[in-house]
Amino acid sequence: MTGADSTQGLRMDYAFAHASEAEFGRILDFYQVAWVYEPTTFPILWDLDGNVLESFAPDFYLPELELFIELTTLQQRLVRKKNRKVRRLRELYPALRIKLFYARDFRALMLKYGRSALVSELSGTLGQVGPHAGPADSEFPEVRLEGPAGAGGGPDGADPAALGLGADQLRPERRSRNARRRAVRRAAAATAHAAAT
Amino acid sequence: MRVSQDLVSDVAEVLLSEEQIAARVADLGQRISSDYAGRELTLVSVLKGSLPFMADLMRRITLPLRIDLMEVSSYGGTSTESSGLVRILKDLSAPIDGRDVLIVEDIIDTGLTLNYLIRYLKGKNPNSIKVCSLLDKPARRLVEIPIDYVGFEIPDAFVVGYGLDFGEVYRNLRFVGVLRPEAYES
Repeated sequence: MTGADSTQGLRMDYAFAHASEAEFGRILDFYQVAWVYEPTTFPILWDLDGNVLESFAPDFYLPELELFIELTTLQQRLVRKKNRKVRRLRELYPALRIKLFYARDFRALMLKYGRSALVSELSGTLGQVGPHAGPADSEFPEVRLEGPAGAGGGPDGADPAALGLGADQLRPERRSRNARRRAVRRAAAATAHAAAT
Repeated sequence: MRVSQDLVSDVAEVLLSEEQIAARVADLGQRISSDYAGRELTLVSVLKGSLPFMADLMRRITLPLRIDLMEVSSYGGTSTESSGLVRILKDLSAPIDGRDVLIVEDIIDTGLTLNYLIRYLKGKNPNSIKVCSLLDKPARRLVEIPIDYVGFEIPDAFVVGYGLDFGEVYRNLRFVGVLRPEAYES
């Protein structure tokens, strides 16, 4: 499914991680702004062998606006983590445009649309809709960029090239999940060893 | 929603006084008059919030011009069920092909409505489309749209008055003020 399909109504086939994301998708649909949910996972931390240790998948990509949006309506601890990831993303991929949408921004949006009564059930812990079925930010990333730009794709076949992201912006990761987990264990062991000595 | 009978009690702070607004509208009118001299200008007011601004601005423009009104549905509305797509509730009453269109808005925050409106109006083949907004709240912007004429850039607060409402109330305040949280949290 492409972003253009967003003009055809709400797409509930996405497994949103949070109710606020579903609501945000509905708002974009309403205003006929094309969007894709978590089309790209960006590696943001590697070990010395080049294995990905940490990645970040912004919630939405708006292809017509060339803008990534990350919603964060959860507790402060997670907001700090998101802030750090967004900072890192901006350092590594300066050509990307990303906007972090905080809980207060979401509240203001709901207030603007006369839906402030829904804020509590769409925000924070209450708004979580269970285990995330889709790709997520992870310390054990499932990097879905399988090769140079254009070779990979998101859950809807979102093509990094179609997102205007070149190979220089997206560092491909070809290792298997097991290899990545081994690399993470090695890195963790190395960190523990360094701390002990 | 609990509204004070005098409305003013629900306002925490006057952000823009009547005098400040009037002076700025006069400036904008002068600039627009100069920029559009000799052109076929149509002012398009986006209902309902821009109505007072439109009424004041058009009288500060010293050119022959046409005015028109549009209304676009807002997400959510009064229903708790949101569905469907944005709709034109009131369309232009006259063609704009070949004319220079100036969209008159009360406030631009996310830019979602304006983005839709510009795309819609472009389909009517105007000579140009520009935007004049009394207020700009850039902190909330999702869609980056150049705003050609801005009255005031305001901080990230919920404002009412001079056309801006909360639950259809407060539009008739003569100033722009920050609404007390108790007014919208109750």
